[in-house]
Amino acid sequence: MGELENTDFLSMDRRTFLKVVGAMGASTFLGLHRSEIVKALELSNTRVIWIHGAECTGCSESVLNGRDPDIFQAIQKLSVDVAYHEMLIQQQGIFVDGELASTSELNSEIMLEEAIEEGGYILVVEGAIANGPDGSGKYCMYGDHTFKELFSKAASNATFILAIGMCATYGGINSANSNIVDLTDFRGVAFLRRDPSKGMLTELGIDRPVINIAGCPANPDWVLLTLAAVILGKIDINDPDPILDEFKRPLVFFPEDVTLHWNCPRRGYYDIGQFDTEFSGDACLWKLGCKGPYTHSDCALRKWNGSVNMCTQAGSPCISCCEPGFFDNSTPFYKNAQSVAPSGGETDRSVTSNENNGAATTGSAIGLGATAGATIIGSAAYAARKIAKNNDDEKEMDQ
Amino acid sequence: MTNVTIDPLTRIEGHFRLSTEVNENGVITDAQSSGMLFRGIERILVNRDPRDAARITQRVCGVCPTAHAITSANALEDLFGIADQVPKDALVTRNIMQSLNMIDSHATHTYALWLPDLVNPAYRDVFATADNMGTMLWKELLHRFAPLSYRIDGISIPPGQTYVNAIKEKRRLHGSIALIAGKMPHQMSTIFGGVTYKPTVADIGKLSYYYYQLMDFFERYTLGMDHTTWLDNTYRASSPQRAVEFMIEHLQELTESSISSNDFSYSAGWGDTDLLVVLGSELIGEEILGLPVSFKLDRTGTYSDPANIGFLSYGAYYDVENGDGYDPLEFGKSSFLKAAFITGSLERKTFDHMKVTEEVSHSFYTGEGDLHPFDGDTEPVRNADEIDYHGDSQSKYTWMKAPRYDGVPCEVGPIARMIAMQEPLTTGLMNTFSDNGYSTVNTYIRMVARVQEMLILLERLIQWVTSDLDPSGRFSVPIDMSMAKDSQGVGLWEGARGALGHWIKTGSDSKVTKYQMVVPTTWNASPRDSNGIPGPIEQALIGTKVSAAENMLGIDNSNPIGILHTSRAYDPCIACAVHTIDLRQKDGKGERVFDIV
Repeated sequence: MGELENTDFLSMDRRTFLKVVGAMGASTFLGLHRSEIVKALELSNTRVIWIHGAECTGCSESVLNGRDPDIFQAIQKLSVDVAYHEMLIQQQGIFVDGELASTSELNSEIMLEEAIEEGGYILVVEGAIANGPDGSGKYCMYGDHTFKELFSKAASNATFILAIGMCATYGGINSANSNIVDLTDFRGVAFLRRDPSKGMLTELGIDRPVINIAGCPANPDWVLLTLAAVILGKIDINDPDPILDEFKRPLVFFPEDVTLHWNCPRRGYYDIGQFDTEFSGDACLWKLGCKGPYTHSDCALRKWNGSVNMCTQAGSPCISCCEPGFFDNSTPFYKNAQSVAPSGGETDRSVTSNENNGAATTGSAIGLGATAGATIIGSAAYAARKIAKNNDDEKEMDQ
Repeated sequence: MTNVTIDPLTRIEGHFRLSTEVNENGVITDAQSSGMLFRGIERILVNRDPRDAARITQRVCGVCPTAHAITSANALEDLFGIADQVPKDALVTRNIMQSLNMIDSHATHTYALWLPDLVNPAYRDVFATADNMGTMLWKELLHRFAPLSYRIDGISIPPGQTYVNAIKEKRRLHGSIALIAGKMPHQMSTIFGGVTYKPTVADIGKLSYYYYQLMDFFERYTLGMDHTTWLDNTYRASSPQRAVEFMIEHLQELTESSISSNDFSYSAGWGDTDLLVVLGSELIGEEILGLPVSFKLDRTGTYSDPANIGFLSYGAYYDVENGDGYDPLEFGKSSFLKAAFITGSLERKTFDHMKVTEEVSHSFYTGEGDLHPFDGDTEPVRNADEIDYHGDSQSKYTWMKAPRYDGVPCEVGPIARMIAMQEPLTTGLMNTFSDNGYSTVNTYIRMVARVQEMLILLERLIQWVTSDLDPSGRFSVPIDMSMAKDSQGVGLWEGARGALGHWIKTGSDSKVTKYQMVVPTTWNASPRDSNGIPGPIEQALIGTKVSAAENMLGIDNSNPIGILHTSRAYDPCIACAVHTIDLRQKDGKGERVFDIV
């Protein structure tokens, strides 16, 4: 780590850059190299159009929590031109007798039209895209047209698309099971749950490079660092796939072979077989439904909100909010994971449930069982990922 | 008659459309408020494990997830029959998280979302009528409140000082919630039976440190004075009249010293609140203090018929000093923020949640009648042709339902809470408006109430953190799923934007058969009901003048700032308001079968 701190990152190749970022964490990396990043980005003039579909604004809220750089440093000092972001701009859509009024200085619809027309921007999508009812997209309207139409136009002219949060990546809460899920027919940008054939881009026949930043919400480091890497040319936007997993998540943040469980702050309790069976305890949360062993994210290293905390550290079982198929993959949240199937087929059902081991069993006995269980769980997830990915050795990143 | 439509209304959460008719005098004569998105989240809850509700319902809104988590936990604790057993320290922890989220939400709304409207170029021209002083004031406003990526006449304006600093405070506020709740947005700690995390002594230290940093921001920028002095003389004033006198005297001093120097900067003592309360009101700024110009916000956002409006607060914050637990039927009586229904003539009545109903005659749902949330059944229109926002006030035009209390549309939010708790500055200002021929409730008082609530909460927050929280206390009670068999629960609480209610029912398999949320913006941005009575924002828009400072420089339909001020002052949150529909499970076989026709 020490020698990397003194390395000129501008001369690093992509692979080294991403490795360093992965090793140090985005906050640390950006903090150490801020002046160089500022210098590099002052030379760029990157335009960003940020649109909101079916969402809760949680991802925008989360990105506002970013630091080193924070959103203002990223935008203001780093010469990123936010051509459109509806929560941050001055303008709104204004129609007088049905016609767009005024100019782009007051009217967001004109501003957005002009920005899309100009092309050559990074499109950030927050929120799912309504396709229902019957492919009309009318369950989500936006300034006199459907959000689906807006997305189609904006995606067609973008050089690259960054989908952030579970709604824009895989459908999120909007595509969770209910008996109207087919009616509302919400889609992610390039996927619906784990299925790339049902992404909205495929539906619309648009081919654009996409990076998915998973999470409910997305961690600001994941978003801002990916943006920075794209702007700095550390990610080849015409061919980002080598640094992505099969769900188009950057491997540097969502490692294939490591789960959150490996670095969980409560991991020690798991290894010695101490499990909480009631909330507000200090031990391992496995029996309370923790999905950490199935969750491929660096949450446990990076943590949240400026690294002050993370879910399991605060006594809450991981709900696997960055795996495609969230929510249904990990509900019921508070039921032991062996009886549900997070991330599709990755659950190893041969692992005996230790949900009912009960308090009568001695700590050491549970410990042995649990350790064995841990190994099996870890291995099962690992093996499933191995099988799923192709040409593993050709991947640029492996951790 | 001209149709002026705002779509989208930006700087809010979600997709919101306001369609208005403006007459030849520039006065809005009709208004329709529309939520533009349908998601169906309540439906997703049906047939699930009820314990998941406090996680899933937060996904309705990333701005006020803590309010949804706590409201949902309240409903679950009622459902499981453990509401009176939740330990005190869990409730203190929830109070801390909620107050931090409410302060965060208010600060974000005030600074990042609402105040940028005051730097609309129309006001440059309005302020130019006041010569040098006006020009200096305009520069000061731009310097403080200009938003990101802003241009006037092609010239880039740098983001305002407090705008930028407020976003940094927001980050700190989210971090402080995350410290005891895992992460934000979408906190992880609040669950059925308590909280998942025991705050440590170190956490208390950190929270106190965050608090002092926050206070520094509020005193330096928001107030421009020591907050204790402000609250002692307003919130704790001996009478509403005294509170207003204190504020006016303070403003008189500031104004007198700045009138000759034309210096309205922070260093001259002008906090953001001072600028807002002086320049926002025609009565206070122009008539009482003698300034030559104001935004005239006290002329906007008023209600013309007290019979058609009420103010509603469910109450919030557990009464942790006086025992444990949430009592669904008594909640809000001894809470710090009180439960009350206040009529349009400001008559206070006891709140009863059974008087809450919703109906859908102007919403894109099928179904009839006013139904209590325990009974409500709704169904979205399925034919794309039926989803049309261009109809008139007689048509269906929104995804929001029309909630009513005892048949009356209600405004919810800071002003309803401040009236319910008889906050002296708010009620004093309302009396002052009323005595001087102004409408008692208006856009100006809405904004002042929000700022005042933020300051009052800050003080209460530090008390919960340093006095009431015991790290060695208990933080949760266990539950058994069978306790949820054939049961029901009600969760009442206050989000930053107002009264938030969750209603849940379960079947013989202990799974959810019905989940219904009635949220603040559904109240405020409600459409008409079957009697043709408009919702609060619609009523507040009708009668408002369309352009800057009451059409002071003529009518400009292409810059309808009047619509923006009035509607945005309610801090609309559309994702919450259009959350969805609820259903009943029809069979007991564990299949997801609903009564959709």
